[in-house]
Order: sequence, then C-alpha cells, then structure tokens
Amino acid sequence: MTDHRVYLDHAATTPLDERVLEAMLRHLRGGRGNPSSLHASGAGAREAIEAAREPVAELLGAAPGEIVFTSGGTEADNLALFGLARVAESSGEHHIVVSSVEHAAVRESARRLQESGWQVDRVAVDADGAVDPDDLAAALRPDTALVAVMWANNEVGTVQPVRELAEMCAERRIPFHVDAVQAAGRVHIDMARTPVSTLAISGHKFYGPQGTGALYVRDGVTLDPILLGGGQEHGLRSGTENVAGIVGLGAAARLSDGALKERARHETMLRDRVISGATALPGVSLNGHPEKRLSNSVHLSVDGVEAEGLVLFLDALGFEVGSGSACASASAGHKASPVLLAMGQDEREAFSAVRITVGKDNTEEEIEAFLLAFSAAITQLRELSPISAT
Amino acid sequence: MPETYRPEVIEHLVRPRNVGEITDASGVGESGDAACGDIARFSVAIQDNELADVRYKVYGCAACIAAGSALSELVRGRGLLDAARISKEDLRNALGGSLPAGKEHALTLVLDALHKAFEDYWNRAAGDMLIEGYGGNGKSGGKSVVAAMSGGVDSAVTALLLKESGYDVATVTFRLHDGEKGSRSCCSPDTVLFARDTAHRMGLPHFTLNLKDLFQKRVMRDFVGSYEKGRTPNPCVACNAHVKFHAAAFLADGLGFHHVATGHYARVGRGPSLARPKDAAKDQTYVLWPIPQELLARTVFPLGDYEKPEVRRIAEDRGMAVAYTPESQDICFIPDGNYRKFVRKEVAAEPGEVVDAAGKVLGRHGGVVDFTIGQRRGIGVSAPTPLYVTEVRPQSKQIVVGRKRDLAVREVRVRDLNVFLDPEEASSVQVRYNGSPVPCEVEETEDGDWIARLAEPVMGVAPGQSAVFYSPDGERVVAGGVVARNDS
Repeated sequence: MTDHRVYLDHAATTPLDERVLEAMLRHLRGGRGNPSSLHASGAGAREAIEAAREPVAELLGAAPGEIVFTSGGTEADNLALFGLARVAESSGEHHIVVSSVEHAAVRESARRLQESGWQVDRVAVDADGAVDPDDLAAALRPDTALVAVMWANNEVGTVQPVRELAEMCAERRIPFHVDAVQAAGRVHIDMARTPVSTLAISGHKFYGPQGTGALYVRDGVTLDPILLGGGQEHGLRSGTENVAGIVGLGAAARLSDGALKERARHETMLRDRVISGATALPGVSLNGHPEKRLSNSVHLSVDGVEAEGLVLFLDALGFEVGSGSACASASAGHKASPVLLAMGQDEREAFSAVRITVGKDNTEEEIEAFLLAFSAAITQLRELSPISAT
Repeated sequence: MPETYRPEVIEHLVRPRNVGEITDASGVGESGDAACGDIARFSVAIQDNELADVRYKVYGCAACIAAGSALSELVRGRGLLDAARISKEDLRNALGGSLPAGKEHALTLVLDALHKAFEDYWNRAAGDMLIEGYGGNGKSGGKSVVAAMSGGVDSAVTALLLKESGYDVATVTFRLHDGEKGSRSCCSPDTVLFARDTAHRMGLPHFTLNLKDLFQKRVMRDFVGSYEKGRTPNPCVACNAHVKFHAAAFLADGLGFHHVATGHYARVGRGPSLARPKDAAKDQTYVLWPIPQELLARTVFPLGDYEKPEVRRIAEDRGMAVAYTPESQDICFIPDGNYRKFVRKEVAAEPGEVVDAAGKVLGRHGGVVDFTIGQRRGIGVSAPTPLYVTEVRPQSKQIVVGRKRDLAVREVRVRDLNVFLDPEEASSVQVRYNGSPVPCEVEETEDGDWIARLAEPVMGVAPGQSAVFYSPDGERVVAGGVVARNDS
C-alpha cells in the first residue's frame, strides 16, 4: 500500500549485495566448465571454487581445507549430525546432547536419530534462551557421541556461551557442532580460539545467494557423507558444485569479513532504537537476552495481539518483519514456537511474538517510521481484541 | 508466512468494520478459546427482528479478523432471518474466495460467535418463560414454520420438505445438555455446528436455543428421580411434554411464524389428535402423546407421510452429508447407553433386601435404582426357575421378585392424562415402549385417572412408563398418560 518498502526481516534472508551479484554474473557469463573436468574450462571452474574457499575460511578463522560447500545451512547441519553420528555409531556410542532451542535443521535431525535408536538429551535454557554450561556438563556421559548448540538463536537472537561449551566438549573429546547460520558474517568467529568440531553457515544470511552454505570441519574430525556420488568436496558432499553460488558465497564472506565491525556498530544502533522505542509502548516486551544478543535482532512479545495479524498489518503499511512463532498452520491449527515454549512462555505469549531484524542498509529514518507504524498497528489490533490486557 | 491471503482479507485486516462492543447489547456471543489461538466475540442490537447494530472483536490470525469484519458487514442492518441464513459460503465469497489452507476455521469461528449472540438474545427474551412452561400464542404467520434440527437425517429432510412445499422455514437446534460429542473442544465436530451447516446448505436460517436449564429440570432430574422412586421413566416423553415443542413455539412466536415442525414419524389428525404415520416401523406416537393440544394444532410432521428409506434416499439424492449419519438409539444424554451408571452418579443408592411375594427375604441388593420391573439380570439370587423383578419398593428399599407369570397384569391405572379425542373411542392401549396395543376397556375414576382393563395379560408393566390409548381403527391416539402404581 506504499511504494517504499522497509525490509526488517534479515534473519529470514538478506538482500543480495550488488557486488556479490556482479561476481556471480561474471562467473555465469564466462564460466562453462565442470570443476571435475580436466580441460581448461573445468580448471577455470575449479579455480573459482578454490578462490571462494579462502574468504569463507578467513571469515571463520579456519583453513581453506576445512571448508565443505553445501546447499545451505540446513544441509550443513544435517551433514554434521548424521555424519558425526554415523562415525560414532561404529565405536559403540549412542548418546547425543542438543540444546532445546535449536533450529529445525538440528532439532529434526536429532529427532530422526532418536527414532533410529539414539538417546537424545535436550538441554534446557533459561528465560533468556541461554544454555547454562553447568547444565550441559551435567548432561554429558561417557558414551556421548555428539553435542550440538547453536551460536545464536534464529528466533530470539540470544548468543550462547559457545566458547565455554566448546572447551568443555573438547576437554572430554566429544565432537561439538555449532549452527552458526545467524552468527556468521555478523559476529566475530575464530576457529583458532573456539575449539568446535563442525560449524554450519549459510550464504543468504550475510548478503550472499540463497542455496549456498558451508560446513566447517576441523582438521582431524572425521564424518561420513550423507550424499554419495562423485566424491566432490573431499568426498563429503558429492554432486557437481553450484559454482556461481559458491563464487557468490565467497564474495559475500569477503565483504562481510571486511565490514564486520562497522556493520555491527550500525546494526546495534538501529536495534537498540527499535528495542527502546517498542518496549516503551504498553504491553510490549523484549524476548531473549538483553545484552548477549545478535547485533541485528529484536524479538518482541505483544500482549493481546496475535503475531500473524500484526505481521500482515505491518506488511500492508510497507514494513516487512518476521512472525516470531513462524505460525506453521496445519489443519489442526497453528503451532507455537518451541523456542519460546522452551524459554518458559505459555502458548498465548508464544503466539504474540514478532521478530524485527535490521540490516546494513536500514536507516534511522526507516526505524523511526517503523516505530510509528508498529504503534499504530498494535493500537488498532488491540482495539479489535476481546482479551487485551492493556 | 507460507500462505498468502487475498487482497480482500488484507483490506479487512487493515480497515476492519464494526469493531467494538455494544454496551446495552441484545445479545453477546463468544467462540473459540485462547488455547486454540483464536477468540471471536459478537454483540448485537436487535430491534423488531432487525440487526440495528453489530459489533465484533477478534483475537486471532488475520483470517479471523477479516472474517469477523466481513461477517459484521454482511449482517448489519439486515433482518434477523436473513442474518441467520448467512453461510460459510457467503462469508467466503465476501472475502474474495477460499482462504489459505488451515485458515477455513476462521469462517466457522466468527459465524459461531454471531450465532451465540443470537442464542443469547433468545435466552434473554425467554427469561423464565420456558422454565415456567411456555404455552405459545401462535397468533401470527401464515405458511411459516420453525423446524427443529438435531443434526440427523430425519430433521434435515423435514426442513427440506417444508421448504419445498412452500413454507417459510427457520431451523432451530436445541442445546439440551453438555454431553454432546465434541462439545468440549472448539476444533472438533459439534452437533450444533453440523446442524447449522446443514441448514445453511439448504439456504435456511438457523438458530440455537439454550435449553440446558429446562432440560435439566424437566427431563434429567425427573429421569433420576423416577429411578429413586422405583419408576421406569421415559425421558423422550418428558422432553416432548415440556421442552421441544414449547421451545420451538417460543421461537416461532418470536419470529412471527405460525407452525412448528419436527422430524418425528407421526401425523396430526382431526381434533387435533396424533395419528399413526405411514411407516409403522418408525411410529413415534407412543412418545409424542404429551404434546399439549394447543401446540399440536400448530405442529407439522412432514415425515408422517414417508417411510424411513425414502427419507434417507431424499437426503442422498440431494447430496446431503446428513444422509449418512447413524440412527440414534440411546437416550441422548447417556450416549454410552449405561443408564444405571448415569443414575448412580446422581444418587446414592442404599442396599436393601430381595424378597418374594410373601415377604420372605431371599438376598440383598445394592440399591433400588438398579432395578426395573420385568428385569431378570443382576438379581443375584439363585432359584430353580428364573426370577424377575415384579415390584420395586423404594420406601422399604425392597425388590420383590417372582416368576414370569407373576409379571402378568390385566389392569393398569393411568394418570396425568392428555386427552385428544372422546374417551369412548379408546379401544386399545400400549403400555411398553417396544410393545403393541392390547384391546382394553376404559373406566374413568373420580380423581380423573383411567383404569384400563386389558383383554389379555401384559408382562412387566412398569410405573412411570407411558400408556397410550388408540382408536378402534388403531390409527389415532385418543389419549396418553403415565402408568401409576397399582397400590396408589
């Protein structure tokens, strides 16, 4: 209903950076080889992939040989969990620990492993969505084959004490997987200082192309592939590579790495303005940790308003935000976010959550306009609500 | 968001119509609950059967908000009958077509809230009238009828036949008790919702009347009380005597309609009197006898001229979902058919003695409420010949047992009579639900009871059951009443 649309859903996906697009277009126009071919075209494609591997490794403080390109974060998470589990199975271990706020890619992989006989423990989080390292320590067993805790939560934005958790697992020689899909390109990540075994990232969360991602696999960590075929990516990810996508991922990683601090400063300023402006309204509260949170993420519970209507209302006013509970409409109705339920909220609160995630290109003016629209939207929706408390 | 909404939905979401609450509303209705995520509330101002004002509030998804807004727009300023006719399909069309998968419940939710507001309106209008016994006025209306709809095939076809024979039809479903299937959950199939949907598919207005209090006082309490007093009650008779027809007449008078109709198999004959239907196997005259004459005069039983298989075929031919609903057998408020368990939940039955006709104690029993005359099972006394309950004595907590022939009765005392025709015409009487009429002679006593002298003995006549007298040709009900205790 308005020409200028304000995009505030960067946790869902980020717009493709023009410079990334240029790099991809250059490759798509020029390249024609299969990276596995011996001829010149093949070698050109291979070169493009290896050139992209370096900035991705650099973004994570890793070596290029530790990067496995995948089709995205979900595939990277699946490869880590099933790959590590399959190796551990042969040594008789059958216990897995995950946090209770994992992204569906990890949550559902763990559920599948449980169905096939693995014992799975889910470590609780506090009201801010953070894992207590003592709780993880208590869950570990001699036969624990794998631990998975995300770097930062995709819904509420809470950043986990990953380094502490990683060190705890490293001491016990338990493989530790981290879903860093929301964190990569936004938070300083250094594999030299944080002893994780595997770590998943996704290109389109930091202005790269959708359908690209990578799994960091620490040198010395072994895992079995889940895709079998021509043995690409050190045998861990068969299938002809998405060369243009990988080129784009590399370009996005390079740009993010160079602008990490500046982006974080800009995002934090906008984020804090959203938080202060929105929580000044009656019946609006912040979910997730007040400080230990992603630089771009605001997650709000709005009393007396259901998220879906609020999101669509704001959309009609030209502001695009995320529905905090990812209202998965099934025939039986919708499901409340398991993350908010794990944080101790009740179903109604969990239905009333919206996620506002800013990006590098948002402006202060946009944020002020959003806050006005947000206030108007919740006022009108509350007038509609028969149960509004405020 | 995986689903996309039509622009009509978004438009209603951003500019919802008729938001709010009417402070001095004629009726307020709410549907849904927070656990399901969605709540809708409608308040209506009704004047001269017109919706002068409609206001709504919704907590829920965009579809619910938009559906509430669109519905309020559809019904505001309309006549009550037209408003009660608005269907899910009408509402869907007003929203530009079908909603995304999983969102269709929004239509049901807001319609239900509006209809609950209508229900509240009728409730307020009725006040204590129904509880006190509504006689009706039946002054108004021409070829117009309120048809009761239970959600089954018989009542649905009744409404259809009336519509097709040129009546103005309004349908009504009665909320009688909390035991309806699924009534605890807003998301599961519900009798009222199903009946409403059936009516709307026929283009008929639908109302719901809450008769729980009336039903509790006049039917359920009587049911339990009868067992306590050693009588065998018939709750369908009690309902026909005090609930169904009176409530339908109340609604008809409220709408300015003349007739009332149900899906019973019976006919209205001269007098007016009750007459047997075409389908003898489905004959329900035995349970309809207590309808007061002034109500019977306004009553139509369209199914009296049909046989059950024809009725089912009519429903099938029209593609009505109700065609395939199962035949109801049990007492509606005891769906599992376990009467004893139901009664025992309500009353504390004390143990007592099992005696023979001479007063000799043969054993003990757990409570008189467990027994009815003619019962063979559960007596707990072994004897060379099978024993039957021949009498229940609640005061002394005794069960009298005897042989089968001790059950034979040749004389029945009947009271609380509802007389349609000249008593002279009474030539046979039916005294059991699954029995058939037996030739008899009738003598009227000083206190107005009838003594029926039976031409042949009948087994197991239980006080509390109905006695229905038929005319010499067996086709018309002369009178009906309740079997009294022999000693009283």
